[in-house]
Amino acid sequence: MGGAVYNSGIPNVRSNSVCHPFPVAYMLRVVACLSFVVLQLTIAAGAVDWNEPEQQLSRKIVAVTGPGAAALTVENRSSLSKRDYEIVQNGLRSSLEQAGLRFVAAEQAAALVAIFLSENSASYVWVAEIRQGASETSVVMVSAPRPASLTAAHESVPLSLRKISVWTQADPILDVTVLEENAGPTHIAVLGAERVALYRWQAGKWQQEQALSILHARPWPGDVRGRLIPAKDHLLDVYLPGVICRSGAAAPLTLNCRETDDPWPLVPAALSGGIYSAFPGAGSGVAIPPLGAFYTPTRNFFTGALTSGIGKFTTVSKFYSAAFVPRDKYLLWLFAATDGHIHMIDGINDQVARFDWGSDLTSVKTSCGAGWQVLATSAEEGNADSVRAYEFPDRDPVAVSPAINFTGVITAFWTEAKGDTAIAVVKNQETGNYEAFRLAVVCSQ
Amino acid sequence: MRLFVWRWFVVSSMVVGALVARAETRPQYGGMLHVATRAAPTSLDPADGAQPDSFARRNLAKLMFDTLVTTDESGRIQPSLATGWQVLPGSQRWQFHIRHQMKFHDGTPLTAESVAASLRTANPSWNVMVDADSVLIDWDSSNPDLLAELALPRNAIAKRTSDNKPTGTGPFHVVDWQPGKKLTLAAEENCWRGRPFLDAIEIEMGISFRDQMTALELGKADFVEVAPEQTHRVSQAGRRLTNSSPVELLALVFARDAASADEKLLREALAWSIERGSIRSVLLQGAGLPAASILPTWMSGYGLVFSTEADLPRARQARAQVHSIPSWTIGYDGTDPLAHFFAERIALNAKDAGLLVQPTPTTNADLRLLRIPLPSTDPWVALADVANSAGLPLGKKQGGVEDLYASEVALLATQRVIPLFHLPVSCASSSSLKNWSLRPDGSWTLADAWLGNARQ
Repeated sequence: MGGAVYNSGIPNVRSNSVCHPFPVAYMLRVVACLSFVVLQLTIAAGAVDWNEPEQQLSRKIVAVTGPGAAALTVENRSSLSKRDYEIVQNGLRSSLEQAGLRFVAAEQAAALVAIFLSENSASYVWVAEIRQGASETSVVMVSAPRPASLTAAHESVPLSLRKISVWTQADPILDVTVLEENAGPTHIAVLGAERVALYRWQAGKWQQEQALSILHARPWPGDVRGRLIPAKDHLLDVYLPGVICRSGAAAPLTLNCRETDDPWPLVPAALSGGIYSAFPGAGSGVAIPPLGAFYTPTRNFFTGALTSGIGKFTTVSKFYSAAFVPRDKYLLWLFAATDGHIHMIDGINDQVARFDWGSDLTSVKTSCGAGWQVLATSAEEGNADSVRAYEFPDRDPVAVSPAINFTGVITAFWTEAKGDTAIAVVKNQETGNYEAFRLAVVCSQ
Repeated sequence: MRLFVWRWFVVSSMVVGALVARAETRPQYGGMLHVATRAAPTSLDPADGAQPDSFARRNLAKLMFDTLVTTDESGRIQPSLATGWQVLPGSQRWQFHIRHQMKFHDGTPLTAESVAASLRTANPSWNVMVDADSVLIDWDSSNPDLLAELALPRNAIAKRTSDNKPTGTGPFHVVDWQPGKKLTLAAEENCWRGRPFLDAIEIEMGISFRDQMTALELGKADFVEVAPEQTHRVSQAGRRLTNSSPVELLALVFARDAASADEKLLREALAWSIERGSIRSVLLQGAGLPAASILPTWMSGYGLVFSTEADLPRARQARAQVHSIPSWTIGYDGTDPLAHFFAERIALNAKDAGLLVQPTPTTNADLRLLRIPLPSTDPWVALADVANSAGLPLGKKQGGVEDLYASEVALLATQRVIPLFHLPVSCASSSSLKNWSLRPDGSWTLADAWLGNARQ
């Protein structure tokens, strides 16, 4: 594989962390990290431009009341987060004051203004009910566009993503797994549509150890996808549509493939069965049980059937990819469904949302920020994709890293076995080559 | 030998267990789904305006027919039989490009002509033309509400025949049809959207909510409707219950405009007298939402400014201004077991305000208690439909949220409609029914559903 390229300077991602696992210093740094995140979130939330609807509504209200003394209440009846609600409330007070209203207690007010921050299926609707004396109540309102995703609004970039080139070849790469590493990978497996190739870093270059053919009776579906999963008692398992292969344990390796619809694992082996908390250092945590999903042998998505339930859900919508985030008392699963929605399942509710995300997402456990980030491809159509890290402090994702751009579309995106990094495969639009990158979250820029 | 038998038993149990587990969790083709509905339509024609509107009827139409465009779960318009559309420059003419190589269930090709003919039948006032492989519709504006209108089941594309058996392009075709009683559908093998997992669906019609629940409990039905007042009990019983957003308006609708200022005061008194909160607690068992607006808040965003609280002193004050009190009849659907109690309760509230209201299970009454299924998540389309149900004109038909609010206020100001509640559509299903959902607008997604092993 003469075309192979390797960036030997793969850094140890953990060593870049500003948060190390030492009790006191660690806690101080956690607090510092969280403070930084909160500060960034606050700043980011402040960047949301509510100014125009605030001004519009204020003008309409003052057109009814005229300048003077008024009592104001603002009530949130929408999905607006508490943080945004407070920002909007302050903004409305400010713009109403600028428009000539003076706020007093209700008994001293010439007008009672009750503002409801409501919403409909398309947008926010801010409604003001104005009562003046014994006259009829007046109602004025404005609508404020609700972005399909608040991700842009919640701009916050305390973290960054680093991409490290792992492998390049002309043929499609379905997955890459690192089998051994020191400062960087020294032994990798590259999954193509027809074979698994093993490479070892020797004498300053990559040398192919072995290439194992994948036997399959049926032709692969278009947009073939596959996974390489390192195993404990043998080298690795290979998951392909309708086919699962198991390698031997020692060289020379063999690969035994069988036609089967057995499920693919969704939880990285290193995290499966563990107990993790929503924030690093938090006392309690939630268990992450193993979970598998059935893959459609003739398509490019998971059927939605799961091997075990997420709470009451044993099936979810058909999906392309999945990620999970531990919360205080439960595990929040996110599925990038084939209908373009993100299904957020906490075991009781299946909340459907449309974020500005593409169909590939995954999650990583890191020592940065909230400790868990969801990495999601962008939804923008075009020849080049980007990936961004998000956290879920509330019900909406908050971007916590700048988008990292690639030179083509992402054709594969999986969490690595250790669960702290991801592999992204990109088809370079200029060269036509497939390039595999390791994506790591870096705690500070 | 005993050890061998024991091992064989364990191994075979594991194998069977594994097979069963897979069967329970894997999507499977096959099986007949048994559905029960309270509605009992006597025509399958989606454009038959003589049939009472119901969510069940709309959902049945979606199993057999396709529309030019459809809506996704967020209410956004998506292509269906039309692959694309545009407003022609300089005109209010919409052009829809028809999907190629499509066939009706009877094997005849779907053409622009057949699409145009179907739309003309459903909407005689529309100007629908054909241009090669596309359909042109002249609309009074470039208002995108046309798309929401075209997504309604009543505008589904059907090929109508003289024997009154319309055929469509949907995922299921009709095998047996006993009007008002039973409909049997079979999967369309060559469905353009992919062959459904289910082999067939059998729909028993005209079944009361109580009998539907009994059928579900006895395993005779897989999918039933649940009355709003039963949802709490069904949920408590651990049944698989799914609710839509509140998409049905329960309202009092006067048969005619108020003839005098006195009558307007009396209607106002009636509206103020109704104790929606206690009616919801007692009769609806906590289901639904009290409503004083036509559109639910989730659809309009402003519904919360309409007070749903009863104000008996204000009602009595309005009543006191009128000397001669007429006796009104309030008509209700005699086949709706809850409607009678609603009407009785409203009459009681009215009496407290000094009004005379007499419930009667007929449609010929001074005011009627109506369930109005909102047809669309598009608020303008929904408002227009309610106005139509009440026999009222809707002045403006497009604009921003303040225009919508003004139109709704104008409709309410006619005092022809007194909104009472917004009710969700609720359905219960057997544990064997998989991969179905109830959308916010009350749509079933049975075309993608499949049956687990127990029902195969």
